[in-house]
Amino acid sequence: MKIYRVNMSDLTVKSEDVPEKWRRLGGRALTSAIVAEEVDPNCHPLGKKNKLVFAPGLLSGTTAPSSGRMSVGSKSPLTGGIKESNSGGMAAQQLGRLGIKALIIEGMPEGDKFYNLHVDVNGVKIQEETELIGKGNYEVIDRLSQKYGSKIGVITIGQAGEYKMSAANISVKDPHGYIRSAGRGGLGAVMSSKRIKYITVDETNGPGVPVADQEKFKNAGRVFAQGLREHPVTGQGLPTYGSNVLVNILNEAGGLPTHNFRMGRFAGANKISGETMYETILDRKGKPTHNCHAGCVISCSQVYNDKEGNFLTAGFEYETIWGFGAVCMVDDLDIIAQADRICDDIGIDTIETAVAISTAMEGGVIPFGDGEGMLNLIREISKGSYLGRIIGNGAAFAGKALGVTRVAVVKNQAIPAYDPRAVKGVGVTYATTPMGADHTAGYSVATNILKVGGDVSPLAKEGNVELSRNLQVATAAIDSLGFCLFVAFGVLDKPEVYQAMIDMIDAKNGPDAVKDDITELGKFVLTTERKFNEAAGFTKADDRLPEFFEEPVPPHNTTWDFSGEELDEVFNFVEEKNDYGKVDNKEMQKVNTNEMQYV
Amino acid sequence: MKLDVRLFAGLKCNNPELPCFGKNEFDLEVPAGTTISGLHNLMNLESKYPLINLVNGIAQKDDHALSHGDRVGIFPPVGGG
Ligand code: SF4
Repeated sequence: MKIYRVNMSDLTVKSEDVPEKWRRLGGRALTSAIVAEEVDPNCHPLGKKNKLVFAPGLLSGTTAPSSGRMSVGSKSPLTGGIKESNSGGMAAQQLGRLGIKALIIEGMPEGDKFYNLHVDVNGVKIQEETELIGKGNYEVIDRLSQKYGSKIGVITIGQAGEYKMSAANISVKDPHGYIRSAGRGGLGAVMSSKRIKYITVDETNGPGVPVADQEKFKNAGRVFAQGLREHPVTGQGLPTYGSNVLVNILNEAGGLPTHNFRMGRFAGANKISGETMYETILDRKGKPTHNCHAGCVISCSQVYNDKEGNFLTAGFEYETIWGFGAVCMVDDLDIIAQADRICDDIGIDTIETAVAISTAMEGGVIPFGDGEGMLNLIREISKGSYLGRIIGNGAAFAGKALGVTRVAVVKNQAIPAYDPRAVKGVGVTYATTPMGADHTAGYSVATNILKVGGDVSPLAKEGNVELSRNLQVATAAIDSLGFCLFVAFGVLDKPEVYQAMIDMIDAKNGPDAVKDDITELGKFVLTTERKFNEAAGFTKADDRLPEFFEEPVPPHNTTWDFSGEELDEVFNFVEEKNDYGKVDNKEMQKVNTNEMQYV
Repeated sequence: MKLDVRLFAGLKCNNPELPCFGKNEFDLEVPAGTTISGLHNLMNLESKYPLINLVNGIAQKDDHALSHGDRVGIFPPVGGG
């Protein structure tokens, strides 16, 4: 396999062999290893020293079920720390089958021209782009699919990315021409700083992903798929109701953040729930079950039509519905779907945008519950107006601009759809993950609320530090393999599914794979990321929740009561030679990755 | 005693003898001391997998005895993220 380096300063492309130290890495492990080794932790995220790395998961492009995730890594303009954000869509499998281990975009061109990249079996071509500048993602995908045919893969930024907003995401075309996103941390702004509007991927004649033992791989894949189909969550709940099935259970459990995190229950929950959404989709002849890449056996995605039965949005997720719903007090699913549609089109993270709007509501820009006002604020983002830029740079930025202190962020990244006082395990993850508040980084909700992989109380502290640590480690490994995180429901619950996953890695890497231990892999990833953040100047104070979480949240009236020392225990496996929090930045310009190889 | 019962993700009361037959959100009069599994049986709830029971927002096991006025949410295994 190859690594391509695209240098945007002199508009050249180099192909390199994969060094031994990166051979057994993929996805998040690889993007984080490359960023840690090659990016100055103190650089400006939108300057020429930052890099943007795309890496398919280790198994992406193989026949492994639900393994088509692509990681995008960089220094984040939102958090100022290391970032990995992954996405479904076609690109991961296509890059994998083209034999591309990673695409590293570095440098920055002079002037204000935009470019596009075309990736195929001959390599990467840089071309000037004029036609699609200023266009939204749906039009970009449409026009490129007309030009190259429906099988072309597209990775693109919308207007929010072009404006270099800190909440801008990177969008990836799915097999039906809809949009999936590497949503969090403002990576769309980094792509824009490199002056790249889109990347097209043509996998024709690609060599495929090398698998050492095909027979073993196929058998393990079969067991894995079977296990996921038989698990009630991945085989039934997710394909029927999508992730939005969570609205009702979080509401019942008192953990659905409402009215800018003042309450854990929303009176309008049922109107925006997965069950209501499912009925609405059937009524309007949409599709309740749909997949974001070929070979996903879970298919949690859906196609949601408007009242007239025309396509409105796809991949309509719980976090989006919670954000434009409960936290902003809007109980109209059609308005929320329009918000999702506009965000996908302009290329902006829905979680960050929703919490920024909730912050703007807090600051009196529009009242809570004003659905039309909310849509207008999102339209301001697409226009690039000053108000739009205040929202589009995320919740923390909006809070500062509007003089609001009740701002739900960690490391400047918005807190998602689970109240940390009522789902404490995920609160520990929000506080401590190197990514900034991110539920996917260690989804303790599974064990706290959904009772998958054990049962740890969501309301007490006991067991939640350990739970978050274990899940953060496991997740870092899953993100590196290219699996959709939703496979974790099967992997955590069924030993044979876990074993099948290990067997697939073994079969892929071959007999010389000395230690395919996913715990070690996960720890390697987290250590690498944490060291980068340390060198970027993060301290223990960055691993804390905002102080307003000391207020009790009804209905349980629990508070956020973890001490700093308790939270600092999460990363007890990272040897912090420089004592995270007291690092001398000048002495540590680079992360010493030689000491932390995963070989 | 009276319970505030909410059934989700496709569950509904399957007992034709009860006024809540076919419904998923209702008040239900049950004998004092009824447990969660007693309530499941009363409604003929069918599930291949263990159900999740939230009583006043807190997960409880099947042998938990319910009290007058409890809000009982019942779910099949669900997930997302
Ligand atoms: S489960 Fe959903 S998000 Fe995950 S790969 Fe399948 S369709 Fe995509």
